[in-house]
Amino acid sequence: MQSAPSRSTPSSYQGVALCAPVSMGYAKQSPRTAAWFVGSALRAMLKNTGLEKSDIDGFSVSSFSLGADSTIALTQHFGLSPRWLEEAPYGGAAGVVAMRKAARAVQSGDADIVACIGGDAAAHRSFEASAAVFSNFTIDASFPYGAGGPNAAFSIITQAYMQRYGVQREDLGRISVAQRYNANHFPLALLGHKTLSMEQYLSARQIAGPLHLFDCVMPCAGSEAFLVMSEERAQFLELPYCLILAADELHNSHSEDDVQYRGGWTEFVPRMYEQAGIGPGDVDILQTYDDYPAISMLQMEDMGFCDKGEGAAFVRNTDLSFDGSGSEKKKLPHNTSGGQLSVGQAGAAAGLLGIVESIRQLTDCALGQQVPNARIAMASGFGMINYDRGLCSAATLLGRA
Amino acid sequence: MATRFSMQRRLRMNRPSLRLRSKPPKDRTARGQDFTAANLACALSLQTCTECGKTNYPPREVCESCLNDELLWKPADTSGRLLQAVALHHSLWEFFKRRLKKNTWPIASVRLAVGPVVYAHLALELFDQPGASDIASGSPVAVFSHSDCGNQSVLIAVPDSVDVSDAKNRLEIANRLGLTKAAERETTP
Repeated sequence: MQSAPSRSTPSSYQGVALCAPVSMGYAKQSPRTAAWFVGSALRAMLKNTGLEKSDIDGFSVSSFSLGADSTIALTQHFGLSPRWLEEAPYGGAAGVVAMRKAARAVQSGDADIVACIGGDAAAHRSFEASAAVFSNFTIDASFPYGAGGPNAAFSIITQAYMQRYGVQREDLGRISVAQRYNANHFPLALLGHKTLSMEQYLSARQIAGPLHLFDCVMPCAGSEAFLVMSEERAQFLELPYCLILAADELHNSHSEDDVQYRGGWTEFVPRMYEQAGIGPGDVDILQTYDDYPAISMLQMEDMGFCDKGEGAAFVRNTDLSFDGSGSEKKKLPHNTSGGQLSVGQAGAAAGLLGIVESIRQLTDCALGQQVPNARIAMASGFGMINYDRGLCSAATLLGRA
Repeated sequence: MATRFSMQRRLRMNRPSLRLRSKPPKDRTARGQDFTAANLACALSLQTCTECGKTNYPPREVCESCLNDELLWKPADTSGRLLQAVALHHSLWEFFKRRLKKNTWPIASVRLAVGPVVYAHLALELFDQPGASDIASGSPVAVFSHSDCGNQSVLIAVPDSVDVSDAKNRLEIANRLGLTKAAERETTP
């Protein structure tokens, strides 16, 4: 009898270009609705590239705050006529998920130019309303227990992780502090005008379990967007672009773990490195999904930058600032725009932040915090606390063209 | 959508905190309402699959294991193992905000002996530890359900030495947690 074929590896993303990175509209609160954030990001992309609205024939939207609308409703709102539609409201994984689908659409000819846009509104106290009804499991089985929102689930994950591997608050603080330094040089970061010292981090008010104020992201409004097209088209249009070396995702993995301490990356990231012909040591810039610093540490481990449980030691010995200004000898620019911890978390748009910032870095158009000579960037996504753990894991390796 | 809009209305009602008596979140999905109903009569009732026997939680439409849609609410073993206990210092809901003015609100995640991971309010004073995070992960606990003052069944975790088969005991613990009484407005605005 023939044995079943093993799980196949995603085929190459060769020939696909990512370009036209846009971040905009960041605000702690806004009376605008999600359509404004998506539409304005689209407008900015068209303006930056000189493309016409009619050139966009693929349209992918990631948002938690569309209300009664979906991607199709936005086509009428914006007067778009795409031949390929996608909606990827997958929180932290939205960017990689949307990018992968758009890349396949371009490779197969289903669309020529795909606009991947994440945009989320933040009306007065809308976060509380959305946290209360994030999912059915949330409504029935997590929100009634103290109504802590995502902080409650992540305080449990963080506390378990700290106990399991002997991680100290100072270790987690190194991530928050380094990212704030990066954000101090990124004009769009909502908290970029404030510095953050380790003393401030440690003395911040307590939120839930081991989580204190600077472990938590600030919900906000904003949009992140990029275009996916073929390399030839990007060259023809004379747009600076970067390439997808590898990408993959896995959801609801390791569901048997009592408390989440690893993500799906352990299952697919080794194959990604193999496909790209590189190792973690070749990555010049790392953009993890940083809803809480422990989650970034977990990604560093699962994606091979250090062994499992060595995340704390890794960040102690590694300079995470964009300009290598730290005293540590080992350098790894991490969340070079300040990440969500300092830029703000714009709902599902935040899931695109790492990719958009990577495109800027690899095309030398960073907004003030350029990492010199970066050739390879890695962006990972994590998200959707449906109940007690983040369900989505995704990652991509991007290369300079 | 109905759930969503009523939840938003409730949140609007809940802020600014003018209401005299605020209650815990009472919105539930249809299956969540079944959980409340099934738990009125016993210490703990969970969905059990008639095909594979798996005990399911949170409440759902089909079995996580075999996707069978016949899930019967049956009394379940209350014993479990504490995964983590944490104290909340901040809440999004007015009832808890008022409780938090006096003390932190401890919650726990527990792996039940029958399988699922549950969140529960933690009866911290029954543990001989000063803080929620001081309770060792892996400690044996019992988890039972009780009605809160929003008329919904919620889970409560206690040390396994506590007798939760006695309904009087359960009521006493729920009372002491402050779950059975609305949180009253302290000052007139």
